[in-house]
Amino acid sequence: MRFHIISLKTAFYWLCLLFLAACEEPYNPEVIESSNKFLVVSGFINSNGPTTILLSRTQNLSESSAPQKETNATVTVEEENGEKFPLMEIAAGTYSSNALALNPAKKYRLFIKASGKEYASEYVTVQQTPAIDAVTWEAASDGLQIKVSTHDDRNSTRYYRWEYEESWEYLSFYHSVIEYVNGQIMDRTPDKMINLCYRFNNSTSIQIGNTLKLSQDVVSNFPLVKVPANSDKLDRKYSILVKQYAQTKESYEYWEALRKNTESLGSLFDPLPTQLTGNIRCLTSPEEPVIGYVSVSSVTEKRIFVTDTELPPSYRAPSPACSFDTVFLGEEAAYFGGGSNIPIDRIITNDRVLIGYGGASKPCVDCRTLGTTAKPAYWE
Amino acid sequence: MNLSSFTAKTFSLSPFACMNHLYRIAFFLLVLLLSGKTVCSAQVVPETFLTVDLKQAPFQDLIKAVEAQSKYRFYFEPETVDSFLVSVQATQQPLSSILEKAVSGTNLKFAITEQGHVLLTQGKDFMANLPDGFFRRDTPINSSGQRLAAAGANTKPYVAGETSRKKAVSEAKLYEIGVKRENATGNANLAGHLRDANSGEPIIGASVYIQSPLLATTTDQYGYFSLTLPVGQHELLIRGIGIKNSKRRLAIYSDGKLDIEVEEDVRSLKEVLVEAEKDRNVAGMQMGMERLDMRAIKQVPTAFGETDILRVVLTLPGVKSVGEGSTGMNVRGGSTDQNLILFNDATVYNPSHLFGFFSAFNPDIVKAVELHKSNIPARYGGRLSSVLEVTTRDGNKKKLAGSGGIGLLTSRLTLEGPISKDKTSFLVAGRSTYSDWLLKKLPQETFKKSSASFYDLNAQINHEFDSKNTLYLSGYFSKDKFRLGSDSLYNFTNRNASVKWKHIFHNKLYSVLTGGYSHYGYGVNAENNPVNASKMAFEMNQVNLQADFNYFLSSKHTVDFGASSILYNVSPGSLQPVGSESLITPDVLQREKALESAVYVSDQIDISPRFSLYLGLRYSMFNALGPRETYLYAPNVPKTESSILDTLSYGSGKSLATYHGPEYRLSARFGLTDHSSVKMSFNRMRQYIHMLSNTATMSPTDTWKLSDANIRPQVGDQVALGYYQNFRANTVEFSVEGYYKKMKDFLDYRNGATIILNHHIETDVANAEGKAYGVEVMLKKLTGKLNGWVSYTYSRTLVRLNNPAVSEIINQGNWYPSNFDKPHDVTLISNYRFSQRFSTSLNFTYSTGRPITLPIAKYTDGNVQRIFYSDRNQYRVPDYYRVDFAMNIEGNHKVRKLAHSSWTLAVYNLTGRKNPYSVYFRSDNGKIKGYKLSIFGQPIPTITYNFRF
Repeated sequence: MRFHIISLKTAFYWLCLLFLAACEEPYNPEVIESSNKFLVVSGFINSNGPTTILLSRTQNLSESSAPQKETNATVTVEEENGEKFPLMEIAAGTYSSNALALNPAKKYRLFIKASGKEYASEYVTVQQTPAIDAVTWEAASDGLQIKVSTHDDRNSTRYYRWEYEESWEYLSFYHSVIEYVNGQIMDRTPDKMINLCYRFNNSTSIQIGNTLKLSQDVVSNFPLVKVPANSDKLDRKYSILVKQYAQTKESYEYWEALRKNTESLGSLFDPLPTQLTGNIRCLTSPEEPVIGYVSVSSVTEKRIFVTDTELPPSYRAPSPACSFDTVFLGEEAAYFGGGSNIPIDRIITNDRVLIGYGGASKPCVDCRTLGTTAKPAYWE
Repeated sequence: MNLSSFTAKTFSLSPFACMNHLYRIAFFLLVLLLSGKTVCSAQVVPETFLTVDLKQAPFQDLIKAVEAQSKYRFYFEPETVDSFLVSVQATQQPLSSILEKAVSGTNLKFAITEQGHVLLTQGKDFMANLPDGFFRRDTPINSSGQRLAAAGANTKPYVAGETSRKKAVSEAKLYEIGVKRENATGNANLAGHLRDANSGEPIIGASVYIQSPLLATTTDQYGYFSLTLPVGQHELLIRGIGIKNSKRRLAIYSDGKLDIEVEEDVRSLKEVLVEAEKDRNVAGMQMGMERLDMRAIKQVPTAFGETDILRVVLTLPGVKSVGEGSTGMNVRGGSTDQNLILFNDATVYNPSHLFGFFSAFNPDIVKAVELHKSNIPARYGGRLSSVLEVTTRDGNKKKLAGSGGIGLLTSRLTLEGPISKDKTSFLVAGRSTYSDWLLKKLPQETFKKSSASFYDLNAQINHEFDSKNTLYLSGYFSKDKFRLGSDSLYNFTNRNASVKWKHIFHNKLYSVLTGGYSHYGYGVNAENNPVNASKMAFEMNQVNLQADFNYFLSSKHTVDFGASSILYNVSPGSLQPVGSESLITPDVLQREKALESAVYVSDQIDISPRFSLYLGLRYSMFNALGPRETYLYAPNVPKTESSILDTLSYGSGKSLATYHGPEYRLSARFGLTDHSSVKMSFNRMRQYIHMLSNTATMSPTDTWKLSDANIRPQVGDQVALGYYQNFRANTVEFSVEGYYKKMKDFLDYRNGATIILNHHIETDVANAEGKAYGVEVMLKKLTGKLNGWVSYTYSRTLVRLNNPAVSEIINQGNWYPSNFDKPHDVTLISNYRFSQRFSTSLNFTYSTGRPITLPIAKYTDGNVQRIFYSDRNQYRVPDYYRVDFAMNIEGNHKVRKLAHSSWTLAVYNLTGRKNPYSVYFRSDNGKIKGYKLSIFGQPIPTITYNFRF
């Protein structure tokens, strides 16, 4: 009789794998599998201007498509025991009203009829948003700190929420003065310049603050956002538009909870997350969750500009990895024809003989790769 | 059992070597007797007719008279006859009829052999004791229980106050306690220690009682008992875990002492799973109390083959755990921090090793584990749900001994023995893993970078100064280190030390003064990236002093009183850069200090044998002490960073918050019949320290937080009602216990709470209210070839956060299941013994899956993708189900072996069910997918070799 002889070492491996080879399996409980298309309401009721509401649906976690917009819904702003103001669908899922001037003494709600079901928010008091006193900045060693200050003489606002829109002007790494059109190298006309662009970014983090601990309703230099010192946003000129919304205590708590609710997904060492409860209910089937919190307020705005000359010289974005290629005559089509390389300038010898062109990859030359050359109307 | 001739005194003086020979003779004789053929003939010794006339004379006089007139020779244990008087009048009668008259009305039996040997025995015990006495012939004579007593030198009755402390080892001898008086009446007190005859270890929790009138007591953790009895003759019965049912005959005249040594129940070594005092279930005062003996614990198979105390505790009704590898216990709906875990009276904060796969207690040195879950004695406090008391052995006082085990992942070794015989003993034990080495050998890269190791050390010295003063020193040290993949290196350490001084003032009063020190700390080192290299640490220290007094006031009252004080010193967290390149900014949380003090008094009143009461009151007080700065928050709004009004600064030693309150401990027992009883209890507990954990399981990075100005202590009330019945001569126990519990101000987390390095933790937690209720049904069979228990528990535990002034409202302010709410639980622990050397056990456990909050959808708000979660804990992970199987193979039972060994072969998770350890979601290529991780997803075979010498 013969036995298979397993070496001691192999046996150990085998045993260890048994102990430690934890096994991971897909876990898809029914509730996750089933199609959860809950209504998502974003936006606020503007008490002094047009109200814009976005309606969409939630998706299953495993879906990778864009979220479905809720179209053909009826959306109205309703005064408690009073007027109704309809919203029109101006784009798929986007509903907008005329500029409204709501009575601050009344309460309003949002009423939605979508896919045969009726939804309504609670009636909410109108919050008058005080004006932004100042948006200031400070060049700290590690970045540009943007701050906002405001106050309410009536001491009644107390809870604030801010959003901001950043925009900045920047240059491409190489300034192209020629272009390759239909196999020809031509000079760029001023309207075809691609070295100066603008980019935009909206706030994604939730910015809230309150003045509960102060004897006066004064927000002084609330740190809103810090632009890192090495950000390309600060290359030439940076602008930020700060929008301020007065909040009720309840809406403030909603945003605070949303901010804290972790966006990482329950791994072993993550805290347990919790559902947020907004103030919108489905009237037709009360059990159906509805996502969103409707508040009613006016909005105040303030914009500032910061140019690179005002900032410390140590603020520098890292140089992109760009190399200047020399393209000899006759190689133009091969190099520029595909569109991934852009010509920069002509190469002329001391004897004024054109021997070729300078070129580089598109992101190094064409600033439109990331932004637009169209200068915003507000740009100074 | 041995016999000695009254006339042939040389036997009792002969060298010990003769004893073996004597045993054999005795055995042969006994065999004759047992065969039922009581021979009475005169083939060798001719039948003689005798004349005696004795009136109230000692039995010895009868023997003398007979031996003088004939060739009959008597063989007996002197104790069997030294206490009774005979009256016999006979003229020319055969010996058999004379003896019949003499022993009539006693339990003496006699037999007369052909050779003229007269054997006298006490009938019943004669047979029962045969095998043990015969097989134990190598045991040193002077420590061998009954055998020693027979040597005849011991006939002098034991008298209280005698300097040479004799140990009551004989069942037959009459021990006289106190000063003999004529016609004495009233009561007298008997106190003493109950010890193991072989090792001198105290025997805990054994019942010491007389039957009529029924007066009973239980030995405490030092094996001490004190019992007030009516003056007169009694048969004192002793029953307990792992010891033979024994009795002592005694005549008590006045207060006195009696130290009793009893034998280990060798026969039941693998037979009895949990042999509680046989009728404690019904007759004991305690409810909701489980006492596990090591031999019970050793039978339950575990994942890595090593005996695991906590794992067995988790099989008890009302005790649950969130995760498979976790030793965090949830007792009757309490959270994992609500259990006071005492190891030789020192608090253990992290009772686990290696992510909870091993418990922190070396099984070789543990003597017993006691879990109190409803009626918690007044002497304990500071936790809401339970007290788990782990007691180690004292160390062998008689001889040097050792034990150990070799498993696949761990090995352990214990040495113990006397430093000065019967006075001082020591015990040292160590345990370590070689998992680290194994991981390094693995071919897979992640395993190579991983490491996991632990070790623990125990040391103990007990010294008995005199009969009244004993000192116990105990130390414990454990260290764990692990690294998963190439990430951070985690380590944690437990350090405990305790000193106990037990002083007996007199028979009825003794005190124990305890000083203890406990340390728990962890560190996380991340040094992979020199720029981010950092070290995070947490540390807590506690020093406690406690004085406990036990006063056995009378047969009806047992009064306990005492006081304790604990000084906490916690450094809640720090983050420090490591190396010169590190850019980590140091972040150190303020130290926290506090003093927790308590006084208590309790009285156990035995109103009648059927009805007893326990009344206890504990008053505890907590002072959070400076130096410290605390935040003052706006009143009536949730504490958030934005509601901070002011920072208050307190100087060193200044009290920044004081909490105090009474804790009631009441229970009552009413015996319905001899075999059934009803018990009820009411308990209030207060807890001043809280565990902060960012996971549902117990993890090494859990930190502890002291109550302070912003975190209130937890208060819990529990009422419990139980019915207990024993069947079949107390071998089958049945119990039903129901409870309802209310908890106030225990900590639950707010949405997205940050636990680690939070300077204002009060903004992330909230004082929640909780309630728990349930019914626990248990059926235990204690003896027989098949033994074990089966239990079913229905329990709910619910939480509510409904106070807008405290936090955001969770789940619309409704009650929601806590993280460890597992309504149904069925556990079966069974053992079947095929022979003395081979036994098997099969365990089964089922429980409802734990609650979980699921991400059920995703959505885009503004331009940010967010996850929509279900209501908190609205869903459950799949049910938990596991079957384990183990075989124990003992080496032969030859007593004179160098070492005794046993093999344990076990299969954990026999059916290979993939029970989820954790459930998580991960984004893979933009799709969020759910996964469940099972750690022991296939059957795990293990083999362990244990030895003892």
